[in-house]
Amino acid sequence: MRIELEPEGYQPPRMGLLILQGFVLLLFCLLVLRLWYLQILRGDYYERQAHSNRWKDAQIYANRGLILDDNGVILAENSPAYSLALIRESCPDIPQTLAGVSRLTGIPFSVIERNFNKARAVSKQSFAPLILAPSIGFEQLARVESQQQNLPGVTILSRQRRYYTQGHLFAHVLGYVSIASDADHKKFPELSIGDTVGKQGLEVVLEDRLRGIKGLNAFEVDVYGRQLVKAVEHKPRGGENIRLSLDADLQRAAMAALGDNAGCVVVMEPDTGRLRALVTAPSYDNNIITANSGPEWAKLLANPRHPLHNRVIQSVYPPGSVWKLPMANMLLAMGVEQSESVHCSGETKLGNRIFRCWKKGGHGRMNMTRALVESCDVYFYLMCERAGIDRITAFASASGFGKLTGIDLPYEKAGQVPGRELKRRTFPKDPTWHTGETYNTSIGQGLTLVTPVQMAVYVSSLLNGGKLFKPLLVDDDGPVIRGMAPSTDSQRKFIVEAMRRTVEDRGGTARRVVRSDAIMGGKTGTAQVVKIGDVRLRAEEMQYEHRDHAWMVSWGIKDDKKYVVVVMVEHGGGGSSVAGPVSAAVYDHLFGSNRTGRPGQKEAANVLAVAGQTPGQAGPDGPDSAYVTEALKAAEAWGR
Amino acid sequence: MTQMMDKKRIWHANWSLILFTLLLVGIGLANLYSACAIRLEDGITFRPFYQRQLGFVGIGLGCMVLGMMFDYRKLEHLALPLFILSVILLLLVPLIGREAGGAQRWIPLGFINLQPSELAKIGVMILGAKMLAASRTSLGWKKFFTVLGMGLVPVVLVFAQPDLGTAIIILMILGGMIIFRGLKPPLVKVGIIFILLSPLLIWQVIYPNLKPYQQQRIKSFVDPSAASRDAMFQRNQALIAIGSGQGWGKGWMDGPQNNLHFIREKHTDYAIAVFGEERGFAGSVALVTLFCLFLYSIHATAREAKDRFGSMLCVGVFFYFFWQILINIGMVAGMMPVVGVPLPFFSHGGTAMVVNFSLLGIVLSVSMRRFVFKSA
Repeated sequence: MRIELEPEGYQPPRMGLLILQGFVLLLFCLLVLRLWYLQILRGDYYERQAHSNRWKDAQIYANRGLILDDNGVILAENSPAYSLALIRESCPDIPQTLAGVSRLTGIPFSVIERNFNKARAVSKQSFAPLILAPSIGFEQLARVESQQQNLPGVTILSRQRRYYTQGHLFAHVLGYVSIASDADHKKFPELSIGDTVGKQGLEVVLEDRLRGIKGLNAFEVDVYGRQLVKAVEHKPRGGENIRLSLDADLQRAAMAALGDNAGCVVVMEPDTGRLRALVTAPSYDNNIITANSGPEWAKLLANPRHPLHNRVIQSVYPPGSVWKLPMANMLLAMGVEQSESVHCSGETKLGNRIFRCWKKGGHGRMNMTRALVESCDVYFYLMCERAGIDRITAFASASGFGKLTGIDLPYEKAGQVPGRELKRRTFPKDPTWHTGETYNTSIGQGLTLVTPVQMAVYVSSLLNGGKLFKPLLVDDDGPVIRGMAPSTDSQRKFIVEAMRRTVEDRGGTARRVVRSDAIMGGKTGTAQVVKIGDVRLRAEEMQYEHRDHAWMVSWGIKDDKKYVVVVMVEHGGGGSSVAGPVSAAVYDHLFGSNRTGRPGQKEAANVLAVAGQTPGQAGPDGPDSAYVTEALKAAEAWGR
Repeated sequence: MTQMMDKKRIWHANWSLILFTLLLVGIGLANLYSACAIRLEDGITFRPFYQRQLGFVGIGLGCMVLGMMFDYRKLEHLALPLFILSVILLLLVPLIGREAGGAQRWIPLGFINLQPSELAKIGVMILGAKMLAASRTSLGWKKFFTVLGMGLVPVVLVFAQPDLGTAIIILMILGGMIIFRGLKPPLVKVGIIFILLSPLLIWQVIYPNLKPYQQQRIKSFVDPSAASRDAMFQRNQALIAIGSGQGWGKGWMDGPQNNLHFIREKHTDYAIAVFGEERGFAGSVALVTLFCLFLYSIHATAREAKDRFGSMLCVGVFFYFFWQILINIGMVAGMMPVVGVPLPFFSHGGTAMVVNFSLLGIVLSVSMRRFVFKSA
C-alpha cells in the first residue's frame, strides 16, 4: 500500500495571509507599547497610586491634659462622649439615612443636613466619617444602636469630651473647649474637623500645653475600607497635666462666703504672686458648653447678672476708699509729714461746691494714720489737691493701675487712672481738668477704675518690698516681677501699719476681719455707683443697681502663712458691712475658724516684718521732686 | 484502513497550536487562582471560580477532541441550518429571554443558560466561510453585499438586545474574513472612503441609537471626566494594577491591587490586570507574545488548509480570537471604551471556554485534513 500526499491545489489569497500576519504584528506592537508605557514609563507613578490606595492614615486622639488644683484635685478631665457620623461610601441613600437619623435622635432634619453638608465640604475621602450630631445622649445612643443595621453608613464615634468636675466653681478660671472654628483651623493647622480647642480661660491660654500631639495609625485597607494591617506610625502624646496654684476648698469657701451676691474674691500669696483663689459670682457651669447645649448658652448670654463675665479681671470698678492706700503712699513720697493734720468737719468747700466726708459731722483732726484708719475723705481731698492730678496719675500708673497685670487669662481689662489726657479723650466737650475732679480721684471715685486682681497685686506689693507680681495660676510657674511700685520700705511700713490699725483700732473700718491668732491688716472701700445727692440713702433703701460697690482689701499673717485677700461685692452697699464678713469667712478657711473678735497682741517688730524690713533700717524718704521723676520712669518702664 | 488514516492524521495536526493553547490555558488557570484570592483580616480566602474553570477546561478539551475527530467539511452542510436556528433563537430572546444587566441575553434551557448571541457568532462565521469559499476570486459588489447582508441580520438582532460588544465582534469577524478573501479594486476604494467617513456615521447614526449606559461608556472614554464615579474607579484601578506591576511584577498571589480587591471583575473581564500587576512588564510581554504565536498558528492552518472552506473557517476563528484579545486587553489597558468582552482562557466562564476549545477543534480538524489521501 502506498499513500500519496497531494494538495488539492488550493492557494490561499496571498494578500489575505499578509493581512493576517500584519494584524498579529500590529496587535503585538500595540499592546507591548502600551504595556511599556504603563509599566515602565509610568510604573513609579502607578506604584505610588497603588500604595496610597491601600495605606490609609488614621489619627489617634491624644488625651487633653488634666487640670488639677494645688492639692491634686482634678478640675478638668476627659470623659467619653458619643457622636454620630456617616460614612458616605457605605451609605446607599444619604438623604433617607439623614432623615432616619433625625427621626431616631429627635434632632431636626435641617440641623443634621447642615452638619453633613458642612463636613462634606471639607472631606474628600468617601470613607471618612462625617459628623452628623457632635454629641448625643445615652438614650439617643441606645436608639441609634438598635437601629444601626437599618442605617448602613451610620457609625457611632466615641471620643473624649472635656468634663469639669467642679462646674461653676472654676468656670471662669478654666474656661472651656469647643469645636474648632475656621479661625482656629488657620491658627492650628494640626487640628482636624470636629476637634475641640480651648476657647476661654486657661483652656485657651494653655492650649499648646494641654492639647498634646495626635498619634497616627497606618492601616492597610481593602477596597471596601476594611482594615487589614495596622501599623502605628507614631503614638499619641497626651497633653501636659497642669497643676494650678488655686485651692479648690478655699475657692469653694470663698464662693460660699459671697452667697447670692455678685462679686469676686481674690486670694494671693504676696511673696510670689501665686493665686490661691479666684472667685467670681454669679458663675455658670462650663460643662454646658462642652455638651453643646445651645439653649442653655443663650440663657447665660441673656442673664442680666452676666454670669459669663469674669469679674476679677474683666470688670472695672471705682476703688472707693481703698484708693486711699496708694494716695497715702504718694503723699509720703512727695514729702507730706505723717503727723501733719487736717481738720475734718464733715465737708469741705471748693468754690461753691461742697465735698462731703462719708462721716456726717466729720472726723475732727486727722493725721495720715487716722485718715487711713477712719477713712477720712476730707483729709484726702485737701492733701491730694496739694499733690495735683499729674502726680496722682504718675504715681498710680507706676503702682500698676491702668495696666494689665498679665494674668494667664484672656480678655483682661486694664482699668484706668484719671488724668488730663484721659479727661481729654473721655470728655472732648469739656477737656480741661478741674480741681473738683482731683477731689473725686483722691477717694477713688470719678474716672478711677480698677480690677480686683490689680488691687490684689497692689496690696501684695505693700507686703513684699514693692514687687508688682504677675498673678500666677499655674503651680510650676516661677514668680514674675512685672514692675516695682514707686514706694520705699518706710512708706510701705507706714501703710501696712495703718492697715493693721484699721483692723485693730476702735473706729477702724476693717474691724470685721480682726483675729486673735493672726496679724491682720485691711482697708475698706465703698464705691459710689451713682452721683451722691445731698441725702445719703442707706443701701437697703436704694435700688440694687444704684447701690454702692463694697470693697475690702486685706492681708493676714499667721505663722508662715501670708495672704492678701481682695473682696469686691457689686452693689453690696458698705465695704465694711458687706465685704467684711466675706473676707472674714475667707480667713476662717485660711487660718481656721478661731475668732474671738480681739486683736492678737503682737510685737511691733512683727508688723514691720510684714512690710519686708527690719526696724531701724527705715531710711529717710527721698525728696519729693526726685520721687515723682522716679515714679514717672517706673510708670514708663511698666507701660512697655 | 480508515482507522489507520485517522491515526496518521493525528501527526498532521497543528501541534504548535495545541502547545500554545495549553500554555495559555495553564497560565490562565494560575492567574485565575490568584484572582480568586481575597485577603481578609485573618488571611487569604478563595472564591471557587478557579475550580469551576478547571472543570470547564476539562469539558473544553473534550469538545476540542470531538472537534478534531469531526470532519470540518460536514460543517458546510450544517452552516445554513445553524445560522437559521441562531436567528430564530435571537428572535425568541425578547419573548422568553432572561434579563441580565438590563439586557435580554439569555435563554434558560434548564441545564444551561443559552446565549443566542454566541451561537449567532459561530453561525455567521461558518455560513460566512461557506459563502466566501464559494468565490474563487476577490469579492465584487454583489457578493460583498450578499455576505454583509447575511451578517447584518443577527447583528441587528444582537444590537437590539442590547449587546453592542457582541454585535460589533460579529461584524468585525465577518469583516476580517471578507478582507482576507479580498475585494475588487473599486470596492477597496469605496471601502477606504467608507472607513474615513465612519466616524461621522458612528456619531450620526449609531451613537444616537445606543442605550444611555452604552453612550456613557463611549462618552467616558472620549472624556474621562464624564464617567461615573464607579466606572472611573474600575478603569483607574485596573490601570494602577498594571502600572504598579512595573518591570518584574509583585509576584504571583502577591498583588495588593488584586487581593485587596481594588480590581473589580478581576476573575472575568479584568483578569489581565491581575496578571499585569503580579507578573510585570516581563510577564505581560511574554503573554502577549504567546497570544501572538497562538494567533500565528491559526493563521498557519489557514494557509495550509487544502480547501477554501477550511481556510476561511480558520480565518474566522483567527478573527474570533484576535478581536477578543485586542478589545479585552485594550480595554483593561485603557486604550478602548469599556466593552464587556472576556479574554480567552483567562476570564472565568464556561460557555466561552467550551466555544473556544470547540473552535480550536475545528482549526485542528482542518490542519489534520490538509492532505489528500490517495490509495494506490
